[in-house]
Amino acid sequence: MNPVFSVTDLNRYVGEVLSANPVLSAVRVCGEISGCKQYPSGHIYFTLKDKESQVSCVAFRGNASHFSFHPDNGMSVVISARASLYDRDGRFQLIVYDMEKDGIGDLFIAFEQLKARLEFEGLFDSSHKKMIPELPNRIGVITSPKGAVIQDILHVLSRRFPNFDLLIYPTAVQGLTASSEMQKGIEWFNRSSNADVIIIARGGGSMEDLWCFNDEALARTIYKSAIPVISAVGHETDFTICDFVSDLRAPTPSAAAELVMPLKSECLSRLHVQQDRLTRALLHSVSIRRNHLLALSGSRALVSPMRRIEAQNQRLDMLTVRIIHSQNRTFDRSSRRLEQCIAGLDALSPLKVLSRGYSLTIDPVSGTSISSITQVTSGQSLQIQLSDGLVDCTAEKTHARRSL
Amino acid sequence: MKQPELPSNLSFEDAMKELESIVAKLDSGEGTLDESITLFQRGVELSKLCSKRLEDIEKRVRILTDDSNGNKKETDFLPTDESNTEK
Repeated sequence: MNPVFSVTDLNRYVGEVLSANPVLSAVRVCGEISGCKQYPSGHIYFTLKDKESQVSCVAFRGNASHFSFHPDNGMSVVISARASLYDRDGRFQLIVYDMEKDGIGDLFIAFEQLKARLEFEGLFDSSHKKMIPELPNRIGVITSPKGAVIQDILHVLSRRFPNFDLLIYPTAVQGLTASSEMQKGIEWFNRSSNADVIIIARGGGSMEDLWCFNDEALARTIYKSAIPVISAVGHETDFTICDFVSDLRAPTPSAAAELVMPLKSECLSRLHVQQDRLTRALLHSVSIRRNHLLALSGSRALVSPMRRIEAQNQRLDMLTVRIIHSQNRTFDRSSRRLEQCIAGLDALSPLKVLSRGYSLTIDPVSGTSISSITQVTSGQSLQIQLSDGLVDCTAEKTHARRSL
Repeated sequence: MKQPELPSNLSFEDAMKELESIVAKLDSGEGTLDESITLFQRGVELSKLCSKRLEDIEKRVRILTDDSNGNKKETDFLPTDESNTEK
């Protein structure tokens, strides 16, 4: 029969086993510091961790005072320590007697290696980056539905473009399942074609928290996505593999919302400027022709221009009707301006010319207009057309105009 | 002078670019009155389409959930109250 230990005896025994082990009595361990606390006694307690595991550490004052730097959370370090068991709690811990900074931690090495490999394969090529649509009808967002990130995105979008359409694919954004959940999200959006652009978003965190965004399978899924992907992970200074492989990297989730939707007010004013210019340009075009007609009507070459002028006027009227028909209500104002302009054309009417004191002389026999004294003989009947009627008269004598 | 119909999938940006080029052409004052009118009419169509693109987006925020068959279904996303918000 095996002996029965008391808990105290067991812990003491395990402690002895640990300190007797030659490897564990002088071991060097690399990892990242978290939960670092210095007590008034001068002892420093912290947790050393890597991607998957963590271990409790304590540095007693005598050793801690000799460290070349002050340990702090997030630092990657290599410690020299011996393993021990804290009897009271039965907790395995490392007694640290020296500590050095680890310039390149394991995670960082893994990150650099994966980055280099994918870059070599061409996953980050700018030629493969897809255009982000200027005005997405629907935005897909892969993120945690809890937390500030989705609220920030919604807030920014409401400000930029009040009638936006957004669909959330909820996932974990840290931890073991996060990468594969996000991967499924991208695949789902592609399969269902339920978004014009996908934002994959998470707030700030430690390198471990953001580690799921450095997943190779997720990177390849983003690369294959037919829908453009915007990566918005952590803060401006955080870079993940997702950022490199995405079609666009936004420094923060709020920035992604800024990038994905234009300012509606700007779109509208841009459109209004063009609508206004369009109408002006047409009015201008009509007025050029009006001036042209005006010039022609004043010339002596057009003594019997009535029919042509009438025809042109009719044609303008007809075109005006077409223009007005082609306009919707937003163009009412422009239409009115156009009509006013066309009304100006009325000034060209031959009747208007006559009302200004001009008259037209017609041979009542042939009905043709008379433009030269050579068409007139003494005693010939003539008809003079004024703005309000006709005068029948007889020619007495013709006088050639003296040249100047 | 029948204009080709605007493609149904013409984007806001593409319609805007064509509208801008039509305005520039019309501004130059070249071409006959008929041509100007035709350009103007196309411009009106394009500007209507731009405005439609901006207004046709439905305002909604939805979230996917799994139904009993494990299929995704959309439901309205109600903004969580602050107490639910993890930072």
